[in-house]
Amino acid sequence: MRGRPNLFTSYESDQAMLNTTTKKVILFTLLAFLVLLPFTGGGGPGNVRLFDWTIPGFGWLAAESWLQLMGTVCIFGIAALGLNLLTGLAGQVSLGHAFFMGIGAYTAAWLGAAEGPLLGMGMPIWIWLPAAGLVAAGVGVLVGPTAVRVRGLYLAIVTLGLVFIGEYFFRNWRTLTGGSQAGRDFPRLQVRFWKEEAALIDTTADGSWLTTNGKGFLFLLFLLVVFALLAKNIQRTRTGRAFQAIRDRDVAAEIMGVNEFRYKLLAFGLSSFYAGVAGALLAAYFGRTIPERWDLFLSVQLIAILLIGGAGTTSGAILGSAFVIMLPRFVQNGTEWLKGQIAEGGIIATIADPIIATSNTDFGLINTLPGTGPGLSVLQLNQVLYGLLIILFLIFEPFGLYGIWLRIRNYWKGWPFTY
Amino acid sequence: MLTFLAQEVSEPSAFAEFLAEGLSLGAIYALLAMGFVIIFKATQVLNFAHGALAGAGAFLVAAFASILNIPGRYMVNAPAWLQWTLSVIVALFFAALMGMLLERLFLRPMVGETLFAVAIVTLGIDISLRNITNDFIGTDPRSLGGPFGTSVLDLGWVRIAHWEIATIVTSLVMVGLVAAFFRSRTGIAMRATAFDQEAARAQGINVGRIFSIAWAIGAVLATIAGIFVSVFPRRSAGVDTTTAFFAFKAFPVIILGGLDSIVGAVVGAFIIGLAEAAAGEWIKFDFLGAGFGGIVPYLLMLLVLLVRPYGLFGTEEVRRV
Amino acid sequence: MKWLALMLVFGLVAAACGSSSETTEAPADTEAPAATEAPAATEAPAATEAPTDTEAMMDIATDFGVDLDAGVIRVGMLSDLTGPFGPLVSAILAGTQAYWDGVNAAGGVNGLQVELVVRDTVYVIDNHIAFYEEIKDDVVALGHSTGSPHTVAINPQLQADGMLAIPLTWYSGWSDPAINANLLSHGTPYCVEAHNTLGYITTEALPDSTTIAIASVPGDYGQDSAQGAKLAAEAAGLEVVYDGEGAIIPTDETTLTAVADGIVDSGADIVWVATTPSTMSSIYGQALAQGFEAVWSGPSPSFSPAFVAPDSAIKDAFTRDFIGGTYTSLWSDDATSALGEQLAEAGLPPSDYYFEGVVEAQIMHAALLKAYENGDMTRAGVLAAGKSLDNVDFGGIAPSEAYAGDAADRLQRQGTVYKPDPDGLAAGTSGGTVSLATNYTSDLAANFDFTGACYTLGG
Repeated sequence: MRGRPNLFTSYESDQAMLNTTTKKVILFTLLAFLVLLPFTGGGGPGNVRLFDWTIPGFGWLAAESWLQLMGTVCIFGIAALGLNLLTGLAGQVSLGHAFFMGIGAYTAAWLGAAEGPLLGMGMPIWIWLPAAGLVAAGVGVLVGPTAVRVRGLYLAIVTLGLVFIGEYFFRNWRTLTGGSQAGRDFPRLQVRFWKEEAALIDTTADGSWLTTNGKGFLFLLFLLVVFALLAKNIQRTRTGRAFQAIRDRDVAAEIMGVNEFRYKLLAFGLSSFYAGVAGALLAAYFGRTIPERWDLFLSVQLIAILLIGGAGTTSGAILGSAFVIMLPRFVQNGTEWLKGQIAEGGIIATIADPIIATSNTDFGLINTLPGTGPGLSVLQLNQVLYGLLIILFLIFEPFGLYGIWLRIRNYWKGWPFTY
Repeated sequence: MLTFLAQEVSEPSAFAEFLAEGLSLGAIYALLAMGFVIIFKATQVLNFAHGALAGAGAFLVAAFASILNIPGRYMVNAPAWLQWTLSVIVALFFAALMGMLLERLFLRPMVGETLFAVAIVTLGIDISLRNITNDFIGTDPRSLGGPFGTSVLDLGWVRIAHWEIATIVTSLVMVGLVAAFFRSRTGIAMRATAFDQEAARAQGINVGRIFSIAWAIGAVLATIAGIFVSVFPRRSAGVDTTTAFFAFKAFPVIILGGLDSIVGAVVGAFIIGLAEAAAGEWIKFDFLGAGFGGIVPYLLMLLVLLVRPYGLFGTEEVRRV
Repeated sequence: MKWLALMLVFGLVAAACGSSSETTEAPADTEAPAATEAPAATEAPAATEAPTDTEAMMDIATDFGVDLDAGVIRVGMLSDLTGPFGPLVSAILAGTQAYWDGVNAAGGVNGLQVELVVRDTVYVIDNHIAFYEEIKDDVVALGHSTGSPHTVAINPQLQADGMLAIPLTWYSGWSDPAINANLLSHGTPYCVEAHNTLGYITTEALPDSTTIAIASVPGDYGQDSAQGAKLAAEAAGLEVVYDGEGAIIPTDETTLTAVADGIVDSGADIVWVATTPSTMSSIYGQALAQGFEAVWSGPSPSFSPAFVAPDSAIKDAFTRDFIGGTYTSLWSDDATSALGEQLAEAGLPPSDYYFEGVVEAQIMHAALLKAYENGDMTRAGVLAAGKSLDNVDFGGIAPSEAYAGDAADRLQRQGTVYKPDPDGLAAGTSGGTVSLATNYTSDLAANFDFTGACYTLGG
């Protein structure tokens, strides 16, 4: 039976993590590319990277700011994987993910941040990172019973309330969080055996082969892969199937012997664990955050990531993060490019002119001098696009980017015959 | 502790202050929550864009009454209050249109999808609409004008701004109008649609029209709430980019009352309004820090849901396999 | 043409100031002081000479953000354009842009055109850090960095990169040498400004006042200002009858009601509120509705000209009650009239905030000129040049600043005290304010023993 790609002769091979050759090839090529990326593109002033050459066509992606952005994508990927377990698989809509991320972040701060005027114990990352997840999971299980009792849209609003209550506590616990609008420093992504010695892995300083952002990105990419494997394995085992049974029809699931209460609680716990870890990483990656960071918009952003990527799939959660986190940069660069075209004149300029306002008396849909005239600022445009994308994906492609991928794949499968 | 409370409560001015604040707050919540519930009842949409509708509506009022002065510029001799009222009516008309348009464009295609998916569509609408509105508002607040200015009714032991009285009166009038509407032919058709869309359709009810009407009413109620949020004494300088956030308080209100109950919405609104005012007036412990009053509605909501998972007046979902 | 005239005005003022500070110039510095000290010194000769001076240009060291071949200097701006301080910062940015437009039109910085690389952070720290990372290799310095925790967050990176930044925040903690190694802070810190304004109120406006109510948003801005007000109250013998430091949460309506009630119940003579414009209008409105009357005051971000716009409900009451303080001169002041004309020419409506932007641009201009003169326009060169400026004069639109020498001695105590001006706003002759005292230092501010940050940002 070898050599026939889509013929599965056993349940194991059907449920294997990478059940087709195409998937294997794509995944490993992509991973190899991403791992190689930060090593390339050296040679500039103060640039310590191993290779001076760049990957053809992707040199721009190796720039420091893109590496940093991709690090952020990895963190949001982990958070979205967690939300996917709860919302995508178990069907429990949660707007409270930001709250659990906040719990994780402040657990990390308490354990990991340097001792000082604010709470901090200076422990190493291998203590504070798992602890961030575990404490968040613990809170998730504590809140769980209330959440399990309500269902559907009521649950969405209860979890929304959780975010507001959480924000209140974060704002007021000043010795831990630094207080509203002031914030605090967080432990950085540095691996040590114990407190004081030189770090084994230090993502806050250039190394001899990699820059700061390159190291940070690889570190986070590694964690993302670990958490994605874990999520994929949860999904394709008994627990994952129980989650999906509850999502599809909770009463039916219970009749089939799935303990609804137990599995919903488990879903809350697991998802909160992911959220806690992601929150700790996010705070540690940026180094400083204010309590207002863990607000409703972070939750909404994660829901959007899930829907745009494709709810219920591991790859969708990661694709969605990449899309949502990188979109602003593309919009920004696109705007700059159009602005440059106007200055140069030509065909593109005639199209770009009504779109971009270049001075405060010029009309344009996008105003590059926000606050001084009509037209959306680049960030407002981003938000508008982002809202529209949520709407359009839900109306036209409910399976998100993953669904688009499926369509493309299915089209080429039968090519040149339509069916 | 208790004697301290008793003393405070027995003091007439503090109690009257609390009552005035609680009622005017509750009145705004009632306006928001009613619109919310009407949309949910008729179309099964949990509308996260309600705050954005309120903000956009308030900006429309500012635009017509204050920036463009329509129709005032065509009737210079008319009294100011009449000009303003007409401007508000024009703004309400456009707000209703906006509500209908949003429904037709983005929510009609979602009929039959899961409630959650539809709710998330409204989240998308919220983000987009809010940012477009913010761009129109610009950076400084936009005044809504209006007939009352900073005038205040002074009874000696309590002072209530005329705007606050207008808030409470308008809210009560709207409750009455909504109750009357549900007794009208269209209102009955809406109740039928809420009960079963297909059956309603089979009875010859134009369900699409009912959806449009529900969103129009929702947008109008949201706009009226938006007006009262953006005038003296609340946001005295006018509507700004933070106005839309006010509507998040409507969530605990409708959950408290039950998602699909108009009575629940109104009762819930006043309970939450009074609870918030009470928390602001009497709960003044330093260890609670800033903003405890703001989470009281959510705590109340959680408490009620623990006892009654479908709110005080909500219909319990019958679960069948 | 008018810009040239304006430059000339600056030049004259700078020349006048230059002579007085000549003696303080370090002996090692061989350049003529008057030429390096103020941007104003770029008057006519520089504008015509420099572009031809290509040989001298080749000797100048550069690394990031300065392109001698293209004749461009890029300066980064991390602004909050659509967030809570959007109204202020977008006007500030417009002022900065207008200033550089004028400089560029008059030949640029020794022939180099200055381009701004603007990013809208929406006052979110993550954005601030990410945008810094994005633009840092394109720019030679940051023309402003909005927000204190935000600036603190990028500070380690600034120090690692040797990047100069002008913090757009008047946090008193910038005087700490550990923090300000890469910063050119300017203006009256919130804490000192509170002393200055309250000093004016307790001596000039309301000498028989005995009580004060204080409220603020949490964080560096609000609490620095509130702490300053408390210290000032103690020094002036005022009793603090309501302390709402950090009690205003802008996203939470109930805190506004609670603060307004607290202020009313306290019956204070003076109210000091450090907050955002929209929350100020709410707190003031609710207190007014309860029949409360007092002198209201606060730092400039608390005030918005929209309060006294023609159709504002609180216009008359607010004009009667409010006295504010700020660092720069106002649109309606004589000192800014020449500059104001230029801004109006560029299509900008009257506003007082432009001048803050102009001040920032002038500091940057002075640093760039000095760096050019030193022949080192690398990031580190601009930083060193900025840190060695011993007198930056702003031609009267703000008290002058110095960056060489002991930080504590250079504390800015001067400012402008103003009241709202609805008539001027309606007529288009003012940004909604008219000054009560310019270049003013109250006794409270002058005698204030400043030892360090009034409010410390958590570590």
